[in-house]
Amino acid sequence: MTVIRRDPHAHCAPVDPERELIHVDCASHSYPDGSVGIHDMCFYVLKDEIVALCGPNGSGKSTLLEHLNGLLTPSKGDVWVNGRSITHGERSDLWKDVGIVFQRSDDQLFAPTVLDDVMFGPLNLGMSHDNAKAAVMGALEWVGAADLVAKLPNYLSGGQKRLVSIAGVLAMKPRIMVLDEPTSDLDPLHSERVEALILRFKREYGISVVIATHDLDLAARIADRVCLVRDGSVFAEGTPCEIFYNPSLIREAGLALPQTVRIYLDYCTAQGREPEQRPIQRDELIRALQSSRSR
Amino acid sequence: MSSTMISSHIPDLDLITTYAQREGTFFSRVSPWTKFSGLLLVILLITLTRNLVICGILYLIILGLYASAGFPVKKLFAWYTLPVLFVISLVGIMAWTEPGTPVFSWTLGLFTLTLTNNGVILIVTLLLKALISVTYSLFFLMTTRYQHFSAMIYRLFPTPLDQIFLLAYRFLFLTLSMTGAIFKAVRSRGGGIIHSIRIQGQIFAEVFALVFIRSFDRAERVHLAMISRGYSGKYEAGTEIPRPGLSGMVVIGVFCCVIAIIVLMVPNTGGIS
Repeated sequence: MTVIRRDPHAHCAPVDPERELIHVDCASHSYPDGSVGIHDMCFYVLKDEIVALCGPNGSGKSTLLEHLNGLLTPSKGDVWVNGRSITHGERSDLWKDVGIVFQRSDDQLFAPTVLDDVMFGPLNLGMSHDNAKAAVMGALEWVGAADLVAKLPNYLSGGQKRLVSIAGVLAMKPRIMVLDEPTSDLDPLHSERVEALILRFKREYGISVVIATHDLDLAARIADRVCLVRDGSVFAEGTPCEIFYNPSLIREAGLALPQTVRIYLDYCTAQGREPEQRPIQRDELIRALQSSRSR
Repeated sequence: MSSTMISSHIPDLDLITTYAQREGTFFSRVSPWTKFSGLLLVILLITLTRNLVICGILYLIILGLYASAGFPVKKLFAWYTLPVLFVISLVGIMAWTEPGTPVFSWTLGLFTLTLTNNGVILIVTLLLKALISVTYSLFFLMTTRYQHFSAMIYRLFPTPLDQIFLLAYRFLFLTLSMTGAIFKAVRSRGGGIIHSIRIQGQIFAEVFALVFIRSFDRAERVHLAMISRGYSGKYEAGTEIPRPGLSGMVVIGVFCCVIAIIVLMVPNTGGIS
């Protein structure tokens, strides 16, 4: 894959119709106060992939995510989920396919207890009380928060709230999981846990994941594909290697290079060498630095 | 002072829930249904009786239960401010019109106001009734885990009342926490010191306006998050409530008998007067 620069007004044809779960075609949405959420947005999600939407605050990432779950509909253009148009068709049961984890867990956890909150989705799916409870326990165990089942959300830490929010969506077994800033406001330990969970969604459940983030280090570590968002539309996309070793693109997006890339590029500059490799993961960086020193 | 505490005279929801969740007392292990039945019987008794002695004894018993559970009595007395003000503002006027032996007179121009012994008894009795219900309610809340309390609401109240109560819980906490945070921010920049009542009033008005706007915004976000998980107007509580044990039933039975005896035998309670 090479970096694709998107023409702002061009329609986007399906990339891989067989594997495509979500297809957003030139969608625009403006809020009642006139501010533009997304503008001629083109975006897609394939089966078994983790896509990172990267852009600065206010670039339209969260607005796009809310379209994927049917919470918002585009005023122009179209959004297709599992082959169904949500703009012109039925979107009332879209939540069964696309689960969304909100940026602020306090906006998501509304029930008196963790049990009640995680059980909310499965009960809405029509599960019996016993099956719903089993789904709740399964999801909480899976995210490593089974001990919180009887707790009140009010007394959970930020990291615990995030785990419970994820369990609340996971208990519904969606095909696509959408997470808005999944590691923002978390301590390093909980960030690592959430990161590991996202990778496991894909590996163990075959769930496709979309994350919106301005943390490029996170995107570099877990994403299969990175989409750069600016002014409400995706203006470039590619693999983490392709995107993050293109500093002008990152500057254009108003973001900062991931640590591994910055360290490697700074090292090469200090050594007076051209970058020969493109390390993204930490172990790749270590290998690249070692091989560079041995020469 | 807990994070959500706005004033020491307003019951601290955070502290109350912390005690309830801690389950550190014998009474926490009593079935919520038993304690709730107790609450209903207490309300029944104070509704039926006008006897000052009965009210006084009942108040002391409940205060004793509260204190023996290890709950903060000083805080309780501070929390009495609002119910006391409420009762005084209602009964304060009625008490002056009660017939009886004058205790205190106050002449104001052409008018003379006289407080009689019956007026004083009326104030004290109603005050005690208010304090009994407040103390027992707090005792009930501080010994009952919130999940049991919410499940009881779900089972006892018809829709949409149960939905409103269940959804109000988190919202109440979040709103209180938000108010507490804004007040902290105001105090941190010297806003808590009264320079002028007008300025202070303006600050409080601005804080409450901000809380209202933010609460509205948050409610919209929460609603959106619920819709994203398939909310269609019905939300069920999943927690099971412990059933009352034999000893709990015996206690309630004995309490019922005591009330029956009081109603039949004690003056000013429907019995001999």
